[in-house]
Amino acid sequence: MTSFVQNLIDGLGNGSTYALMAVGVSLIFGVMHLVNFAHGELLTVAAYMTYFLQSRGVSWWIIVPVAIVVAMVTSMGVEAVAFRRIRGANPFTLLLTSFALEILSHACWKLFVGSERKQFAKPGWAFNTFQVGPFLFEVWDIAAIVTTIVCLAATAWILRNTLFGLAIRASAEDFDAARLMGVKANRVISGAFALAGVLAGIFAALSLMRTGLAEPRMGANPLLKAVLAAIIGGLGSLQGAVVGGLALGVAEVFVRGYVGDWFGSQAAGLTDGLVFALIALLFVVRPQGLFNVATAERV
Amino acid sequence: MLAVEQLTTRYGSLTALHQASLRVDEGELITLVGPNGAGKTTLLTTIAGLLRPAEGRVTFDGRDVTGWDPARLVRSGLALVPERRRIFKDLTVAENLKLAGVTASAADRRERLARLPEVFPILRDRWTTAAGFLSGGEAQQLAVARALMSDPRLLLLDEPCLGLAPTMVDVVFDLLADLHRQGRTILVVEQQARRALAIADRAYVLRTGRIVAEGPASELAQRADLFEAYVGGSTVGGGA
Amino acid sequence: MTVGDTPTSSFLRRTAATAGGNLALVAVVLGAGMIYGLGGSSARDDLVTDALINLVIVIGLQVFIGNTGVLSFGHLAFGSIAAYTCALLAVPATRKEVLLPNAPWGIQGVEINVVVATLAGVAAALVIGALLGLVMARTSGLAATMITLAFLFVVEAVAQNWIDLTNGAGSISSVPRLESRSWILLAVLVSIVVAAAFRHSPVGRFAQAGREDELAAGAMGIDLRVTRFAALVVSAGLVGLGGAMRSQSLGTVNPTQFSFELSVIVLAMLVVGGMRTISGAIVGTVLVTVGKDLFRWLGDGPGGLPTVEGMPDFFLAALLLAVLLTRPSGLLGDWDAGQLLARRLVRKAEPPSEPPEIRRPSGAERSSGSSESGAALVADGLGVTFGGFTAVDAVSLRVEPGEVRGLIGPNGAGKTTFVNLLTGMVPPSRGTASLGGRPLAGVPHAIARQGLARTFQNLRVFANLSVRENVAVSALSAARHRADRPPVDVDELLAVSGLADVADRPAATLDYGNQRRLEIARAAALRPDFLLLDEPTSGMSDTESEAMIGHVRTVAGLVGAGVLVIDHDLGFITSICDRITVLDQGEIIAEGTPAEVRADPAVIAAYLGSQAEGAEAAK
Repeated sequence: MTSFVQNLIDGLGNGSTYALMAVGVSLIFGVMHLVNFAHGELLTVAAYMTYFLQSRGVSWWIIVPVAIVVAMVTSMGVEAVAFRRIRGANPFTLLLTSFALEILSHACWKLFVGSERKQFAKPGWAFNTFQVGPFLFEVWDIAAIVTTIVCLAATAWILRNTLFGLAIRASAEDFDAARLMGVKANRVISGAFALAGVLAGIFAALSLMRTGLAEPRMGANPLLKAVLAAIIGGLGSLQGAVVGGLALGVAEVFVRGYVGDWFGSQAAGLTDGLVFALIALLFVVRPQGLFNVATAERV
Repeated sequence: MLAVEQLTTRYGSLTALHQASLRVDEGELITLVGPNGAGKTTLLTTIAGLLRPAEGRVTFDGRDVTGWDPARLVRSGLALVPERRRIFKDLTVAENLKLAGVTASAADRRERLARLPEVFPILRDRWTTAAGFLSGGEAQQLAVARALMSDPRLLLLDEPCLGLAPTMVDVVFDLLADLHRQGRTILVVEQQARRALAIADRAYVLRTGRIVAEGPASELAQRADLFEAYVGGSTVGGGA
Repeated sequence: MTVGDTPTSSFLRRTAATAGGNLALVAVVLGAGMIYGLGGSSARDDLVTDALINLVIVIGLQVFIGNTGVLSFGHLAFGSIAAYTCALLAVPATRKEVLLPNAPWGIQGVEINVVVATLAGVAAALVIGALLGLVMARTSGLAATMITLAFLFVVEAVAQNWIDLTNGAGSISSVPRLESRSWILLAVLVSIVVAAAFRHSPVGRFAQAGREDELAAGAMGIDLRVTRFAALVVSAGLVGLGGAMRSQSLGTVNPTQFSFELSVIVLAMLVVGGMRTISGAIVGTVLVTVGKDLFRWLGDGPGGLPTVEGMPDFFLAALLLAVLLTRPSGLLGDWDAGQLLARRLVRKAEPPSEPPEIRRPSGAERSSGSSESGAALVADGLGVTFGGFTAVDAVSLRVEPGEVRGLIGPNGAGKTTFVNLLTGMVPPSRGTASLGGRPLAGVPHAIARQGLARTFQNLRVFANLSVRENVAVSALSAARHRADRPPVDVDELLAVSGLADVADRPAATLDYGNQRRLEIARAAALRPDFLLLDEPTSGMSDTESEAMIGHVRTVAGLVGAGVLVIDHDLGFITSICDRITVLDQGEIIAEGTPAEVRADPAVIAAYLGSQAEGAEAAK
């Protein structure tokens, strides 16, 4: 029972960080029907920025806001330079374009910084542990969960209560009708990228404190998790993205546990395989994801 | 106030609108009638900036607004209630209205949000309901109320009675007549030609993408061949 | 069709043309590669080998993506499956004892000829491909793409972790090496011939129709689950062949040979060249392989330049981006080397020396004579409600065999929804429909096969297929599912539709009126009992509408079908129809002959609004 609860907490912790990225992916899909495979590169940008500052002795209290701003500005920049040109293209082209940007980003980091890992010092306090009843926590765990909850709540509040949030939700439902209300297309799309960028920046800050690493391809895996979480939840649905992220996180932890029991510890790598098999099964049963976003097509 | 000159709009290989011209003066209620597929919606969406015309010019308040973005047109005082309403179903009634006030100052927005429920009492009862749960008539009132949030000087309506029960049609026509009396300039597209003609000052008849008749609404309403002009009976030799 | 050109011989000619043209293309490229390879080290020679194996894989990928239009990230997994199968069977038993001491199923003792092992590998890929195909049958679009991605990761995880069988990340070495390149050339030959044959096979052509428009393909009786399944299995076999070749070329097999990164590269090759043709796959493979090698050389710092990493990836990404932003269909688009040969090998249909004799049955003949044994179309209380909104209430109507029935009503009356109900595109909330006494229910392609063919209000031609192919693919569907009806000649249909001169152009390049006529011809080619036409004159001038009257009659007469036509143009409707049904607010408000309907005050009121009420509102 204790291990069950411990697993659940671990899973929700991991899952909530997936949700930060998944919400961004879902937001962007909502306003322009793009599954943005380049979204994970914001983590890489933030990581190299962190490496640059940290190795010059800048404090984490400054690094974190800078990383967030860098991620936001990069996200908006990529939209303005690349995605604006192909707005309204078919989803196939949109997806592949973001994919090409992801590869381009990997290549550029290799070209200009080199492919070796850059390490930087992690904040020591993050790894202090403390005991609550039978459960063992790291400070980082709690910080990550609390930050994520606060950020997701703030995002939900923005989407629900600000004009900007209403504009994003309305645009996701019917872009042209939103324009007829006076919503500026460029501004709402750019805003969605900015918000997604901020969330990615926060995710980056959390994950960098934990890993202390920067390398060219580091964005690929978190991005994949985020895309899968967003699709599990139903693209375009923000609650869906959160639920999808949490579900993925919890599934991973539990599958890892069972794989260990069944196949022995050396087979831990099978975890990903099993999780992906589960995801494939989900798409077969519910191709539209858990939360259906109505997409009625007029014949 | 609004002048449309020789407007032509194409979708790919289809020319939906051929050199249509019309004029709306300050304070007028103009109706644009015509059968399904005549290009009425194309004309309105082109005026409102959602479609780019291939040829022709749109002037509003003496300014050439051809090809302007809808967001800019709303800010200059022109609002469209689109066909099939297109209210935001996932947003509540209040949120729909609040978003539609995006062009107004915060004070104006608050003031209009407070005033509109008096004009549309039905909406007050459903204030925090997701708009997707509204009935057809309620949704249509929301769509009109939403357009009024920007306090437009020219209101365009595209088939406001589409899919409404007859009693609700009466309500919508009364509403249009009221808005007109209050001095708002209106251009309304309607399939129910006779009813629209009864409340309009002037009218245009659109058919296969062309303006085929225009004049004072009362005169057009009296024309014996209106039905034929409307649905194309006479041109292809009538009866089988 | 020219005399003697049976469907089989036509298929063979087309396949031969496509295969021949593309083999010639490969030969040219290979010649250039040989000359390049001669001048240099074994590295250059390896590059040629590498490109040829990539070619097999990319052509395999083209079979699936190019024909179905579904993006796949996962095909390299089939390469992995085949490569491991081949290695496990062909690696000498003595080596396996060392490498895989705990291998299951006594596979240690097996040691078979590498060619047989390759075939076994391909067979394994085919079997797994069939299983994945069954799983994916229900899905399309993004969900299908994500399943392929998940599949890749599942296979990779198994390869990495089932250490007893695969030696995990540690590779299975000592795979028998290929003695000469001729085996690889044979694999290229096989892949091109198979891909060309699939492209021109009925199932391949159905798949392409589905790629162009899922809904319209369903309305032509095409079952996309079948086409996607077939394309997946065939492509799995080819990619498997390529994978087995790779392990033999390198003498070893390990999971990194079939990673996600490499999946992306082969996908990029296809997208760059153009996914819709085999030549696109060839050109993309060559371009990316050569370009990456060139940039690798540049990155290695030739002539004293600094060494830089990431140059090949930079090239790949830049090329892919440039192609996507400027030519989203790939460099070649729909061009295929086979077209050069097609002119010689595929006989063009001779234009009819005199206009075909067209029976123009009178109204009486249509309703009684032409298909007395035909089936009546009956709707009984058919209706649908979308979340509280009743789009169609409960419509009952009966259209006699061969009758031309009009369905009119104001905007929003529910006409199109009614046709969607009949054709299975919207599931009804209540009521039933039947054709000739047999109930019409289920998915659109099943209903189409029963004898309802439709056109769409918003045009849905197969844009990138030729005009002739648009009609021919429908006729092909008819040959399978409507064989009891008299056959329809594609060229005659094109001729009476005025499309004979433009038959070889892509449908997307036709003007609006011709696209409308093409949709009607395509629907008629299905040999339906009834043609359902949704606004055939929408967007047409009065003159064009008038011409459409004769056209619809001619085409319907040619295939002996009844017609249910929706239109807003009362002049058109009254000229063409035997009887007219009027819908308003989802209910039938009038039915009768054109003259009766025109005089019905309820109809006039539905269209124009009642005058009395209008006057009241004005007060």
